[in-house]
Amino acid sequence: MAAEVLVFNLLSGIAIVSAAAMIMMRNPVHSAIALVITFVNVAAVFIMLRAEFLAVVQIIVYTGAILVLILFVLMLVNPDELPDFHGARPMQQIFGFGLGIILLAEIAVAILTRTVVAEPGPWTEDGMAAVGGNVQAIGQVLYSGYVLPIQATALVLLAATIGALFLGRPDEDEEPTPSRRTVATISLAHTRGSDQDEIPALSSANIKHEAGDRDLIMARDADEFTSTPEDDQKGQQE
Amino acid sequence: MSSWLFLIPLLPLAAAVINFLFGRWFLQHASQWIATLAVAASFVLSIPVFLQIASDEQSISQHLYTWIPAGDFNIPVTLFVDQLTATMLLVVSGVGLLVHIYSIGYMHGDPGIYRFFSYLPLFVFSMLMLVLADNFLVLFVFWEAVGLCSFLLIGFWYRRRSAASAAKKAFIVNRVGDFGFGIGILLIFVTYGTIEYAGVFGQVGDATQTTITVIALLLFTGAIGKSAQLPLFVWLPDAMEGPTPVSALIHAATMVTAGIFVIARAYPIVSQSADAMLVIAIIGAATAFIAATIAVTQYDIKKVVAYSTVSQLGFMAFALGSGAWIAAIFHLVTHAFFKGLLFLGAGSVIHGMHEEQDMRKMGGLKKYMPLTYWTFLIGAAANAGIIPLAGFWSKDEIILGTWLGDQPIIMVVAFITAFFTSLYMFRAVFMTFHGEERFDAEQVHPHESPRVMTIPLVVLAFFAVTVGFIGFPPEDGWFHHFLDPVFPGMPHPDVAWSTIVLFAAISTVIALSGLYIQYMAYVKRSISPRGISELLGPLYKLAANRWYLDEIYDVLIVRPLVAFSMFLWRFVDAQVIDGTVNGVGSLVTYTSNQWRRAQTGLIANYVFAIALGAVIIIGAFMIFGSNLFE
Amino acid sequence: MNELMPEHFMFLSAALFIIGMVGVLTRRNVLVIFMCVELMLTAVNISFIGFAWEFSQLTGQIFALFIIAIAAAEAVIGLGIIMALTRQRDTVDIDEVRELRQ
Repeated sequence: MAAEVLVFNLLSGIAIVSAAAMIMMRNPVHSAIALVITFVNVAAVFIMLRAEFLAVVQIIVYTGAILVLILFVLMLVNPDELPDFHGARPMQQIFGFGLGIILLAEIAVAILTRTVVAEPGPWTEDGMAAVGGNVQAIGQVLYSGYVLPIQATALVLLAATIGALFLGRPDEDEEPTPSRRTVATISLAHTRGSDQDEIPALSSANIKHEAGDRDLIMARDADEFTSTPEDDQKGQQE
Repeated sequence: MSSWLFLIPLLPLAAAVINFLFGRWFLQHASQWIATLAVAASFVLSIPVFLQIASDEQSISQHLYTWIPAGDFNIPVTLFVDQLTATMLLVVSGVGLLVHIYSIGYMHGDPGIYRFFSYLPLFVFSMLMLVLADNFLVLFVFWEAVGLCSFLLIGFWYRRRSAASAAKKAFIVNRVGDFGFGIGILLIFVTYGTIEYAGVFGQVGDATQTTITVIALLLFTGAIGKSAQLPLFVWLPDAMEGPTPVSALIHAATMVTAGIFVIARAYPIVSQSADAMLVIAIIGAATAFIAATIAVTQYDIKKVVAYSTVSQLGFMAFALGSGAWIAAIFHLVTHAFFKGLLFLGAGSVIHGMHEEQDMRKMGGLKKYMPLTYWTFLIGAAANAGIIPLAGFWSKDEIILGTWLGDQPIIMVVAFITAFFTSLYMFRAVFMTFHGEERFDAEQVHPHESPRVMTIPLVVLAFFAVTVGFIGFPPEDGWFHHFLDPVFPGMPHPDVAWSTIVLFAAISTVIALSGLYIQYMAYVKRSISPRGISELLGPLYKLAANRWYLDEIYDVLIVRPLVAFSMFLWRFVDAQVIDGTVNGVGSLVTYTSNQWRRAQTGLIANYVFAIALGAVIIIGAFMIFGSNLFE
Repeated sequence: MNELMPEHFMFLSAALFIIGMVGVLTRRNVLVIFMCVELMLTAVNISFIGFAWEFSQLTGQIFALFIIAIAAAEAVIGLGIIMALTRQRDTVDIDEVRELRQ
């Protein structure tokens, strides 16, 4: 049995060391590679803990998908243009490590002084073998007791996909075409927009000429027309 | 029969709702027919109820639903008809119907006509429910509902400032009485544990004499407000700002008699307390006398009739207080007819005179509006107590009742008041219809009112002549035997014929003397009214200024109240309350501004706060153990 | 220590979680912070799976599965936001993003 512990310790050691390396690395690409090592080791730990299916999922989703995605993003961000920085401000570093140490101490005390008591379930090694293995067991439990949550998760994933499409859509054209704009003001003096043709200062033909193809319903004064699409654009960027 | 009893109040309610919802855009003038038909149906349905009660002498009741079921506190909505209610049903729906018909002519062309014909049936509904109630809470609800209708209708022409303030005055003054009434009902519940008539009246004797007296007086407080008794009658004359049909229906025939009705209804309680009855008698007599003296001095034809109403209500009140219960209800019925007639007649005059109400600008109208003249004369004579019209029988019986009830002082006051009644009624008749024409013939062309207005006058005049005979002979008439079961245990003294004749003779002499004096004054002109008023000097001024009651209230109540309200506004509200509120606001703004600095916008800081929180919580958990949150 | 004990995976989970937390606290590159968050999620997964192993239950594994699914969604959105940030601001320095202040 000692071999099992030895293997576990080895895997955990590599995982922890590479995790520490991940946050220490100066280059984000190196960090990502260190994270891959951690994840692979964690997947191995999962196998030791009778979670073969999750180990595979871990490799496929995390190392296969998410980290590749991260690396893609890293490539897209031009490293030369990144500001030269490594860590945060010194105070932030001190507080960060301090908090980490305190929390580690607390959790260590918790792990060593307390025991978790629970009723053992039916899914021992033999129990899983009886239904055909870990994947079958998970399938059985998942699709009998967690149908609604899994559908909700599917919805979340769908929403995330749409959100990603939205976030990643290409920028608008460099020179936006002036959008058709409707100027509607509430007139105090007339009811229900009846003063459409009661703009004494500017004749309607005049307005049409000045404002291009914009729709003009009514306005109280000429200032209403002085803002152009360019102005609006500037206002949005500020 | 009891199964369709609910239709009697329901139909006017339905008419009111329909007219209110659809009147403005769809019905307009059609609303008047809906309202009139609904009230007519109520009246027609009331007749068999009355006949059945008269033949069986059994009360009818119909349980509709339970309004408040709360443990022992159960408020059922049950319609209950006995002899008293049946009488009131006929009076309310009958006079109501005539007033509706009359209003069709009177309100013709008014843009708010749909509103008028939605409030008016609503009032009829409320009044019917008030008399049909079988417990005090339902009674109180509809007691307030008729007050609301009164408010709405007095202020019907709400663009007129005087109408709006008169409506407010009526509402607020009534609140004073209703407050006492409400406390009285609470006291009944506390004392007897129920507020249903049957339950309360069955155990009246269980309470102490003092409690009974207090309850009776509190109920009478409500009646003081609603039935315009001293000292709260000031609202009724002002209520004449409303349309005249409203004055006829609400402020003469029905609503103001609700107070009398309630006292009669609470007969088992009130009759147990001699003190309360004495108070009622004194207040009633004082009201009758004071209002009659004021009426003699008024020039506004509607005001004369209004003060006359107050005075007659005083008659009913002291009749109740003297133990002449049936006479009071009898007078209520006859009064409803002849006072409704007088108001509608006055309305007809005003209508024909192009909204002129001042009698000094009338005179000689007899030849222009003969039908109005004759019917008004009948009403006035009935009110003044000329034999053999309705008012004579009931008033005579009340005065007889005071004598039988051993209240000689009140009897004397009653005779004096009867004299004044005759004075002001015939003064109004002669000033309006006789003598020279004092109006501007260029501007005003008096004319008879349309038939839709005169027919109700004729019908009411017919009743004003005949309805008195249901109480003939006095103290032994059909009406007495009919109402007798409502007032169990009431003494029936034997009255000698000679006594009855003596009282009738005195009443007649008094009434005719009033007629004679006014005839001499305004037709023959051998007596100068001005001379008399100068002769009386301060007394005349006192009466002409309505005994300065409004001024007294102004000084004693209104001004201190306004001053106190100003104090509350300027100091308590503007300084203390606003200061507190604004202070809290400023404090929040200040502290928020301080705390805003914590929001650096640096995500690292937020994450740090989260991590710190985790460390603290886990640390606390480790130190204090798992019972930290217990 | 001859046998695999619960303390083993608990310490592993705690160590990875705290390393991730320290990384989030001390680094300024949004991408590194993002990776640290993923590490923390994985650390939690170890705990779930470990307890499931200890008590012969499958609930922990189910939870871990959901966490991975949600993490995938979170990664997609997070990276999308980082892309947008880079395009708009031309930076991945978290300290330069201070819009939350307003």
